[in-house]
Amino acid sequence: MERHYMDSKIKGVSTGTTILAVTFNGGVIIGSDSRASMGGNYVCSKTINKLIQVHDRIFCCIAGSLADAQAVTKTAKFQISLHSIQMESPPLVKAAASVMKELCYNNKEELQAGFITAGWDKKKGPQVYTVALGGMLLSLPFTIGGSGSTYIYGYTDAKYKPDMSREECLQFATNALALAMGRDNVSGGVAHLVVITEGGVEHVVIPGDKLPKFHDE
Amino acid sequence: MSYDRAITVFSPDGHLFQVEYAQEAVKKGSTAVGVRGKKIVVLGVEKKSIAKLQDDRTVRKICALDDNVFLAFAGLTADARVVVNRARVECQSHRLTVEDPVTVEYITRFISSIKQRYTQSNGRRPFGISSLIVGFDFDGTPHLYQTEPSGTYHAWKANAIGRSAKTVREFLEKHYKEEDMESDTEVIKLAIRALLEVVQSGGKNIELAIMKQDESMKILDQEEIKKYVTAIENEKEEAEKKKKT
Repeated sequence: MERHYMDSKIKGVSTGTTILAVTFNGGVIIGSDSRASMGGNYVCSKTINKLIQVHDRIFCCIAGSLADAQAVTKTAKFQISLHSIQMESPPLVKAAASVMKELCYNNKEELQAGFITAGWDKKKGPQVYTVALGGMLLSLPFTIGGSGSTYIYGYTDAKYKPDMSREECLQFATNALALAMGRDNVSGGVAHLVVITEGGVEHVVIPGDKLPKFHDE
Repeated sequence: MSYDRAITVFSPDGHLFQVEYAQEAVKKGSTAVGVRGKKIVVLGVEKKSIAKLQDDRTVRKICALDDNVFLAFAGLTADARVVVNRARVECQSHRLTVEDPVTVEYITRFISSIKQRYTQSNGRRPFGISSLIVGFDFDGTPHLYQTEPSGTYHAWKANAIGRSAKTVREFLEKHYKEEDMESDTEVIKLAIRALLEVVQSGGKNIELAIMKQDESMKILDQEEIKKYVTAIENEKEEAEKKKKT
């Protein structure tokens, strides 16, 4: 609710958006819509990328002011890459989420962006972290965010199961995005999904007309 | 009056003694060799024998600067750590501002400027390291550069620094063949053969890192190095046999 209220106060381009990240057995799937809007009326871009790769197996989903989100994720990418090369090993997802959190908390007066950090690392496997507007960091099995998320809390709470298979999880994420994009006017476009596992990263793009349809469509 | 007291002072015959003494420090360091192939770049270093109780994983002389560049150094390890760290930060900073990875020449120039600055400031001594910097630019061209304590840098096809660098360089000059550089295996073998000239007791004291086009740096493990060394020794035997007949 808080994010929905905030969106209308965002000056400039915002990602009125739907983002989510869900862990499954062996990996994590993150997804988002692709609409960038200005003032709740004008669609700036129908094909914006809200899934930013900050390292080989770590992605961030962005919500809120696009400019703030891009600045934060780019700075985070810098810090995480430097950290990784100094440690001579891939970074932990928690470390990446913590970097985002530091940036959000220390600049909370100026920034208006929330993130979901998700990925795979050798220590804990697939993980999902949410970094809220003021800089709160929380680890969860799955999470949803953005203005569109308010319409799918019921669906995700009811339908999520721990330890799903990759296909089940893909279906769950696609359905959730489709439902949110169907009701939220500032979410739309195509559904971007990324499947992150130990073995690699796979992008899935589902154009608007190929999304699952529900009873009234 | 002694002209090696303060680094900022030239001697009457035009020398910067501190810089030359820094180069002497480099000559004491363990050997490093670099070879640039067509689709692969290789850096090899001599691993000094370490004390029994010491963990050899902590003695790293080849450092990655970014996904597409890495370096090996000869000289004062502590000085190298400072330079490598600054270079790593600069690599990321470059990515942040221009959204592209550094070119090998850019980061070499950056490292050289740092080194030069330290030859011209008060109260600081030059860095006692020479480095070999290798990698690929984003358009796929491979590069090998060498930097010196004075802050100069040059591009090379193959080079060596550190102890016995002269011997190794002469070996490279004699055995470097342009056609061989097409084959990744030949490039690796040339680097190992060059190091074997000066390293004691063979493959155990060699650390080798390779980078193929569009791949990240890979440090070869002892098994792989042994395979190359055996192949080299076999080739040597064949060559000797042929000479005799």
